[in-house]
Amino acid sequence: MSLLSKIKETWICLKAGKVTLPYPAKPQPAPERFRGRPIFDASKCIGCAGCANNCPAREILVFDVCQEIRILKYLGRRCTYCGRCADLCPEKAITMSKDYETATNNIADLQQRLELFMSTCQRCGRCFKEPTPLEQLKLKGYRFDDLENDRWIFKSKSYFDQFKVTDDIHIELD
Amino acid sequence: MEALKIIISGLLNALFSMAIAPLIEGIMRKLTARIQSRQGPPVFQPYYDLMKLFIKEDIESGDYPLMQRAAAHLAFASALTVTAFLPLGFGTGFSKFGDVIVLIYLLTFCGVCALLAGLAAGSTYSLLGISREMMMMIPLEPILAVALIAGALNSKSFEIATVLNGSVYNSTAFPVSAIIMLIIMLLSIQAFTQRVPFDISEAETEIMDGPLVEYSGPKLALFRYSRMIRLVIYSAIFVHLFVPWGNNLIFPLGFLVFWAKVLLFTVIITVIAATHARYRIDQAIKYFAIMLGVSFIALLLAAIGY
Amino acid sequence: MFRKLFLKFFPRSLWVYHANSGGCNGCDIEVLNVLTPYYDAERFGIKLVASPRHADVMLCQGPAMRSTAAALKRAYEAMPSPKIVFAIGSCACGGGIWHDTYNVIGPVEKIIPVNFYIPGCPPRPEAIIYGVALAMGLVDKKVLPSSLKQEELPIPRYHPEDLEMQGDMLVYKKLEKI
Repeated sequence: MSLLSKIKETWICLKAGKVTLPYPAKPQPAPERFRGRPIFDASKCIGCAGCANNCPAREILVFDVCQEIRILKYLGRRCTYCGRCADLCPEKAITMSKDYETATNNIADLQQRLELFMSTCQRCGRCFKEPTPLEQLKLKGYRFDDLENDRWIFKSKSYFDQFKVTDDIHIELD
Repeated sequence: MEALKIIISGLLNALFSMAIAPLIEGIMRKLTARIQSRQGPPVFQPYYDLMKLFIKEDIESGDYPLMQRAAAHLAFASALTVTAFLPLGFGTGFSKFGDVIVLIYLLTFCGVCALLAGLAAGSTYSLLGISREMMMMIPLEPILAVALIAGALNSKSFEIATVLNGSVYNSTAFPVSAIIMLIIMLLSIQAFTQRVPFDISEAETEIMDGPLVEYSGPKLALFRYSRMIRLVIYSAIFVHLFVPWGNNLIFPLGFLVFWAKVLLFTVIITVIAATHARYRIDQAIKYFAIMLGVSFIALLLAAIGY
Repeated sequence: MFRKLFLKFFPRSLWVYHANSGGCNGCDIEVLNVLTPYYDAERFGIKLVASPRHADVMLCQGPAMRSTAAALKRAYEAMPSPKIVFAIGSCACGGGIWHDTYNVIGPVEKIIPVNFYIPGCPPRPEAIIYGVALAMGLVDKKVLPSSLKQEELPIPRYHPEDLEMQGDMLVYKKLEKI
């Protein structure tokens, strides 16, 4: 009895044929509303740094070179493709593309770096009234310090210093 | 001259089975994949696997590295020696110099080498694997011995060439014992070749590959190779004992008929392996205890002439 | 002597060991999806093995945690060379969302050297197959770092030491842009 059911099972599977998708040979498009890699458009960005403020993985970093130039850097390492930056951007400068073929052997390949020109007030010549949103962001503690080495001040470090929870190992907070 | 012909035919047997065993295993994997509705690896995949394993670094680990080395080499060597003894269509080979007891001994030795391998590693998983393999071997190896001895009793001699020529059907009355042994061998061939319903001891993801846990590189290639060759050996013994018609034709025809039957038999093994789940060790032992009991009845029947 | 010939067949038969060092199991499930009939990985010769001593490729996912860091390093050292390491998912590539929590040391490359990164949270099975095909040499990379500027400005910087008198005019010796 069970032998007959096994033969029937074999026959059903053989009739289904080959269901494997011929993936690398033929391209396979992603479904509708799929959130792939975010693409930053430099011509639309106004430099408000709202995306940087809201990223849950702290993946977008902002640095002011001088009053008129701001550098926005997106490192692709920790991005979870949640789409909060795209939802939030007032100018729709960030789009979540359908690109999922992002494998690489060098993690720095996923970076996107924008240099933005901030216009100044016509009367007083400064960018924003103090405390500028950038100053507010600095208070929240994620400003870049050293752009080339990807080092940045991180707020949680004060937590570690204060409570000494990790005495036994040496964590490098990158 | 005679000696030279014998040595060459024995060597040809061994080389041919070394060349064709990965191809048969490749056909098995492709067929398993098609039964599971997927594309599956290319047919020559086991050749690539063995080639890749030979160039890997050889890490000797475990408690007894010397026994580890010895177990790998002995497993492969005993499998090749058995192929030199069998008549695989190339002439008689060494089959005049041994009897079926040598065959049974060498095949059991090949299984014991896996036990040695597990002992040499000494980790918990390998010890668990070899304890299961020991429990499986005890009811299992006598079944092959009973089949060969029933053939020997019927044809009144222990020589390999006469026993392996369908001798189970040579009894004086209607061969009841032959039919019983045919059914029992069909039901337990999966365990001899260590394929799915009964591959409890080795190649299993429940206990992290069992006795072979600490093997890497060339020694693992030797174990896998000996497993593939054992598939060919057991199919060849089954075909010679129970379906020998057509094996003794002249050279090209007999050779092709024999290998076609071996291929058909491995297809049957594959289909059973692809559609079943693995048994637990206590279920397997109960199953084989019943098989062993019935095979002793067949042996008695063969002794009294049926 | 046969080494060069056998090395040519190395990318056609890769045996994979799956090591999860503390992730959420999302990437786990996607890796197991790759082994199902729909996105078959066995057609490339890839087999899942249970012991690191049999494997060539280690698939790591989950960030490097304080509790499993030693075990991960041991599994890496147990693999015979030549070996490749893949870091699958955002957690293994860069720490993921959990990069600043109390038990996470960081990305996997703080403990073992990584050869290929497959970002995603979790990456699609096609993305994992793409990464494997990239390692085997069947496809090319599709990402490059990009750097865009809004305007190219010569913003002059004025230093007092660059001023010099020419007649009765003050002239700047050099005009540089940032």
